[in-house]
Amino acid sequence: MSAQRQASSASQTPHISPAELSYLWSSLALPNNPIRPDGRSPTQFRPLSAETDILPGTNGSARVGFADGTQAIVGVKAEVEKTVAAADVSSLSQRAQEQFGENQDGEGKSSATTTGHGSWVQMSIEIPGYRDDDALPVFLSEMMREPLVESVSSGGNADGEMAGGLKGRLVINRRWHWRLYIDVLLLSQPLSYPLPLLSLTTHLALLSTKLPKLKSLGEEDPFFDDDWDAAEYLYPRSQSRLASALQLRPPVTLLVISVGENVIFDPSRDEIAVADTLLAISVARDGGSDALKVLSIRTVDPPSRLTQPGMPNAENPASLESAAVAEQAVNGEEIPGVWRPRRGGVKRNTVAKMVKLVLQKGGVGEEVLEGLEGVEVG
Amino acid sequence: MAITILPPVADDVSYPDSDGDSMSMDSDGGVDLTTGGSRPHKRPRLVAGTDISSGVITPGEVVTDDPQWMRGHGTYTNPLSTSIIATVAGTVQKTNKLLSVQPLRARYTPEIGDLVVGRIVEVQSRRWKVDVAAPLLAQLPLSAINLPGGILRRRTSADELQIRTFFSEGDLVVAEVQTVHSDGAASLHTRSLKYGKLRNGVFLAVTGTGGSGISSSTVKGGIGAGSTTVSSGAGGVVRSRRQVWTVNTANGGGDVDVILGVNGYIWISKHATDTPAVSSTTESVSITRMEEMVSSSIYSSQNDAIPPQTRREIARLAQCIQVLVQGGVRVDEETVMGAYEASLQVDLEVGDDDYYDDDEGRGEGREYLEGSKAQRILELVLERG
Repeated sequence: MSAQRQASSASQTPHISPAELSYLWSSLALPNNPIRPDGRSPTQFRPLSAETDILPGTNGSARVGFADGTQAIVGVKAEVEKTVAAADVSSLSQRAQEQFGENQDGEGKSSATTTGHGSWVQMSIEIPGYRDDDALPVFLSEMMREPLVESVSSGGNADGEMAGGLKGRLVINRRWHWRLYIDVLLLSQPLSYPLPLLSLTTHLALLSTKLPKLKSLGEEDPFFDDDWDAAEYLYPRSQSRLASALQLRPPVTLLVISVGENVIFDPSRDEIAVADTLLAISVARDGGSDALKVLSIRTVDPPSRLTQPGMPNAENPASLESAAVAEQAVNGEEIPGVWRPRRGGVKRNTVAKMVKLVLQKGGVGEEVLEGLEGVEVG
Repeated sequence: MAITILPPVADDVSYPDSDGDSMSMDSDGGVDLTTGGSRPHKRPRLVAGTDISSGVITPGEVVTDDPQWMRGHGTYTNPLSTSIIATVAGTVQKTNKLLSVQPLRARYTPEIGDLVVGRIVEVQSRRWKVDVAAPLLAQLPLSAINLPGGILRRRTSADELQIRTFFSEGDLVVAEVQTVHSDGAASLHTRSLKYGKLRNGVFLAVTGTGGSGISSSTVKGGIGAGSTTVSSGAGGVVRSRRQVWTVNTANGGGDVDVILGVNGYIWISKHATDTPAVSSTTESVSITRMEEMVSSSIYSSQNDAIPPQTRREIARLAQCIQVLVQGGVRVDEETVMGAYEASLQVDLEVGDDDYYDDDEGRGEGREYLEGSKAQRILELVLERG
């Protein structure tokens, strides 16, 4: 049993009795109006407290705490590294080099034609009680790193500096680039699947990340302004709200579950335990337009699969009714009030509904990004 | 708004000082124990000679090396020296010449007769191991449960073989502490119709008493200060006269049972009406057979049909308790009922205007009590208390 639980990628299945599971599931599956144990609406997140720039030794850092006491700290550290000449990088930057003479002012344009490499972003996650090569931290870090490096603004009118996404931003010149180390530290035991907490914290840390201002030009060896106040944000920030909506932002990964016909955001541990499906949806703002786009959807193995089934009264030898109603028990049929582990896939329209709720105008994704943008940086 | 992001709150918790007048245990100390206010120390030392730290002390810290004091709970002495060393993090309490350290937070210490809610974590050949939030798992012997039908007989090997039909891993039980062994482990029993397997409701784990009834006294002072940042972890379930009661809920919720385990585990469920079980089988149930019929469903893990109104009120009660715990208020029948009524009142105050326009479950749930509503509920409860 314990080995099985370890194998499950969702955090360890809590011991929950079949009666509780059945109650929870049927409460959450009530048509149109699920009753969550903590009274939240389906799209409501748990309140959290956030602050940035807490670690002076890093380029950017953030701390996020949920009301239940789980906390995460993320530190981002940047390092200058020599670029090993890869075919695409060198050819692209060569072209940039040729153009360099004509656009001294448009530094953005020259870097727009260079692309970085995904391996320049390194993410490590530490969760108490897990080794760093356990499935959960490895899976989580890949789940968060992938959308981060893959998010590229598609719009042509986007801010030139960020045209290549985060990867493009890390290019200094043909021979040098930045390497980002993102260290994620979960301070408490993972009470629920820690992905949303870690993702929100990483997002904030990246927003607050600053890189020293480059003083050297072109293909010179990089030389930086040692005035930290002059450092530039990794993700450029602007004062006006309108412009900031159009800038590239790090993606956020949201955890969504479906129970019956309902779609529920930011599930607690108990809610995950009865989920039919558990999806991690990464969204980011599409650079060119105001809309959001999905970067990745991952299914997470829901722990409900491994829970213990309830025993209907009819089959319970400890119940006196067993003899009388034994004939009624039909195999494989759902009996109300008895927990059966959820098995099987997810319906297409459920996934569609989840994605729609995240992406739609004024939807959950937009509100989360807006809320994170509102956190004071610096 | 789907997400609320708050600025960090500096934990500015003032711990009860044993010298404070609010909970002075120093009834008749032989030494003058006034604090030297001018000391620049983080922890002001007491008058020279006694040298006892006040405020919070940590495990391993020497409380005093003065031989005049006796060591009490939460301390130990090295046989070779006279110094009293703390074993828990907490505040020093002095009772005459007895020094003890009250832990800030502690696990539940079982006492005989406590009503506890526990979760089965292990099934052994002749007993269950139950998690009751104590330092050690409690045990529930097979001989200490009611057999279905209330039959009184010796437990046979057949019972041992089908031990999982009574309780299996993960099941919740309400039980009573029968004995406490010398190592602090408890033995439970469920030999009463009040006890047994739990179903038809939700489970909630909050802090228990930590074995000492200090929560009530510490907390009242902390909240009365009116600070918005209330200390967490101080509130919890306290031992009281009534740990189990039935609430007649509003909004058509019907009767709801609340079980407050002394260990901080709480069960809130739909009130079990025993009548259907009886009437469905036979109309003429004799008094002697009544007990058998009731206990026939005692090991069921099948929930009854529970209407949404009841579920909503169960969720509301659960949240009320959470609000109390987060506010650092003790949890007992009086405060829970106070909080429940307060939450109904707050709902009335807020009015229905913002309820109707949130279609599609948008925005904050109407039933959501934390956040701004929590503060109001706490105020109302404390007003009453």
